[in-house]
Amino acid sequence: MSTATVRVGVGRMVRRLGGHGWLFRVCLGVLVVFVAVALLAPWLAPQDPTVGDFADTMAGPSAQHWLGTDQGGHDTFSALLEGARTSLLGPLGVVAFSSVGGIAVGLFSGWRGGRVDAVISRVLDVLFAFPSLLLAILAVALFGKGLGAPVLAMAVAYLPYTARLVRGLTAQEKTRPYIAAYLVQGHAPAYVAVRGLLPNIAATVLAQSTVNFGYALLDLAALSFLGLGVQPPTPDWGAMINRAQSAVLAGQPLSAVVPVMAVVVAVLAFNVVGERLGERGTR
Amino acid sequence: MTTSRSRGAALAAVPLAALALSSCSGTAHPGGSADGSPAYRLTARTAPSTGDIDSFTWSLFAEPVSIDYAFSFDYPPNTVLANVCESLLRWNPDLTTSPGLATGYTNPTPTTWVYTIRSGVRFHDGTPLTADDVVASLRRNLDPNTGSDWAYAFRNVKSVDKTGPMQVTVTLNTPDSTFNQYMAASPGTVESAATLQADGKDYGNPAKGVNCTGPFAFSSWTPGQSLVLKRFDGYWDASLRAKAKQVKFVFLSDETARVNAFQSGEVDGGWMVPADSYAQLAGSSRGKLYYGQNTTVADEVVGNLQGPLGDARVRQALLMAIDREGIVKAGVGGIGEVADSLITRNNWNNSPQSTVDPLLKALPQYPYDPAKAKQLAASAGVHGQSVVIASSPLDSQSTIITQAVEQAATAIGLKPQIDTVSPDKYTALFTDPAARKGIDLFETFWYTSITDPLDMYGSLRTGAFSNYGNWSDPQFDAAVDEASGTTDPAAHAAAAAKAQQIAMDQLPWLPLYSEPVSVFLGNRITGLQPSIDYLYYPWAAEIGANG
Repeated sequence: MSTATVRVGVGRMVRRLGGHGWLFRVCLGVLVVFVAVALLAPWLAPQDPTVGDFADTMAGPSAQHWLGTDQGGHDTFSALLEGARTSLLGPLGVVAFSSVGGIAVGLFSGWRGGRVDAVISRVLDVLFAFPSLLLAILAVALFGKGLGAPVLAMAVAYLPYTARLVRGLTAQEKTRPYIAAYLVQGHAPAYVAVRGLLPNIAATVLAQSTVNFGYALLDLAALSFLGLGVQPPTPDWGAMINRAQSAVLAGQPLSAVVPVMAVVVAVLAFNVVGERLGERGTR
Repeated sequence: MTTSRSRGAALAAVPLAALALSSCSGTAHPGGSADGSPAYRLTARTAPSTGDIDSFTWSLFAEPVSIDYAFSFDYPPNTVLANVCESLLRWNPDLTTSPGLATGYTNPTPTTWVYTIRSGVRFHDGTPLTADDVVASLRRNLDPNTGSDWAYAFRNVKSVDKTGPMQVTVTLNTPDSTFNQYMAASPGTVESAATLQADGKDYGNPAKGVNCTGPFAFSSWTPGQSLVLKRFDGYWDASLRAKAKQVKFVFLSDETARVNAFQSGEVDGGWMVPADSYAQLAGSSRGKLYYGQNTTVADEVVGNLQGPLGDARVRQALLMAIDREGIVKAGVGGIGEVADSLITRNNWNNSPQSTVDPLLKALPQYPYDPAKAKQLAASAGVHGQSVVIASSPLDSQSTIITQAVEQAATAIGLKPQIDTVSPDKYTALFTDPAARKGIDLFETFWYTSITDPLDMYGSLRTGAFSNYGNWSDPQFDAAVDEASGTTDPAAHAAAAAKAQQIAMDQLPWLPLYSEPVSVFLGNRITGLQPSIDYLYYPWAAEIGANG
């Protein structure tokens, strides 16, 4: 019976992927392309984006440099492709950690209810008060630059969003007859919560995580822009935008426009996909 | 963009904060060069102004922390203070020195400097300048409780005494050929003794300001926004009477905001124009971009001689593998030259040309040759060892320098790692040994405050505060001491050149490039003389109406 429930949850999601209209399908396609590019970047990039040629700086698009070069002579197209790796890996880490943590906390809190729920909810309220970027900057100050510390700090900052959602859904779902049926059969509450209840709210949680992915991408890009994320010469979209400021001032904005577009398109696609999933999940 | 780097107590020359600094070689470039790099021309003096003006607005890339002369050792405070406070001597736009608040000086023994104080000079509060004010002002730099940033200039001073109604005598422990020259920069600043006493620790802060003798008086300072100076009508030097009734300095740290402010006319001008905007501003209809003489060189400081860079061959290889022509092109739009030493030709202006030219020609050269560099580094056996390069994210020149050094380190077989540090931490690299821990290389834009090679090379002497890598070479130290001990121009130059030769062979710092001072003047104003002396010379007094 539990297996059947899982099949219902996942099957519902899969069926819905095709039934959301053209915008959803386009955005999903964009995400698939982005992920493919990130996975295959080292083979796709025509040049090494970590090495710049000072003899060819701020060049316009050409056969050699499809999207031109930045102020340091790095090939913008290659940097864009390789930058997709760090730019997507970071948010993936944030979403993975915050979703796992958020689901655990939310499920426990919503299932138990009562005082435990009240205490956990207040703690989450406090966490909500910390802007994610601020937490990430604090983590960088304490543990050093790179991807690890900011990703973990941001996961903590994003955890309340998932946790609160899961808690609300759990409290609601818990009152439904099939949960009571599970318990009557003698299953342990933990088993019922994880194997019985969770699959039925998974679609909505997935939608929230997808939206979180977009925001985390934006936050991490901002962090890289500030020079606190991955360090050069590792390509990263936020760092590319930072570096391109001087090119903008010099009247050659292409090397800034390209990573900005990548961030905007990625965030937009994640938001559209996430929201559509969410809309269907709550129906 | 740049940083403000305040210096701790005993710094020698100025480590510049990171960003936007400028420098130069004194060479004019009347036409385009053969390789097509942009031409530039140094301007000695902009068109004379046609009359007085009510006020003008000037941009600073950062807000000063204080305008107390003892803590003014960076672009923002000195740019302001140069117009308000004066020194015993004056450093002119052509980098010569002339009388200031002292009408003259004598050097009766190698360790005695006697200054005759100018009479008829009044402070901004109307009180007259006396020898007591000079004594109080100079002694402040000697007092450990003050912790003056200029203590280095006073390191050989035994005493400062009033020896006549308008005469002050400085006695040195050992002969020091640079001491008198420093009296034309911030170390020679004279403030009212009464003001120093009355204001105490609050002296030079936004509420109290300063009370000096310059062509402009402190008027107001709104932290975070602006600092206003007003013309001092009782100024003693008619030739430098201020043509503007008021100057308003605004703090614009963002490069783009600063350039937009120039383009919109929101501010009338500013020093240290962002290099990325040279092309844009050169074609601006709202004003003109000028270049002037400089004493600044961009260097890569070797902050750790314990690692792979402890071997001079590796430092030589690294310099040889850095594409310095490329940095000049990509970092400053071709407005600059590759440097073959840590100072500019301007620093030798006071030395006999016949002595200096052959010495400079003998300098070791490190032309860009990655292949040869790799061999040299291989002979030192450092392949695969890691080096950490600190980079300040505030300025695009720094980004380019870091990239070039990183690529050079990779080219010679090292494993470079870039550490992007905050402006505060970057500043701390110059003052706090703990901040330099784990950092092998960091860049600086180092200007000299006097027209003398020793201002730079003295700071690389064993044990000197600014000798960040604790480099030590007995022959170098002996040459610096010899130059310091003689005021004869030829002997001084020969000894300084010997020190330079050793430094450029051993490379405790790697010279990268020099560039001119840059300044933007809006269409409303003119009259200024573009030169690095703007840090100590009342440049704003010469700015008046244009047309």
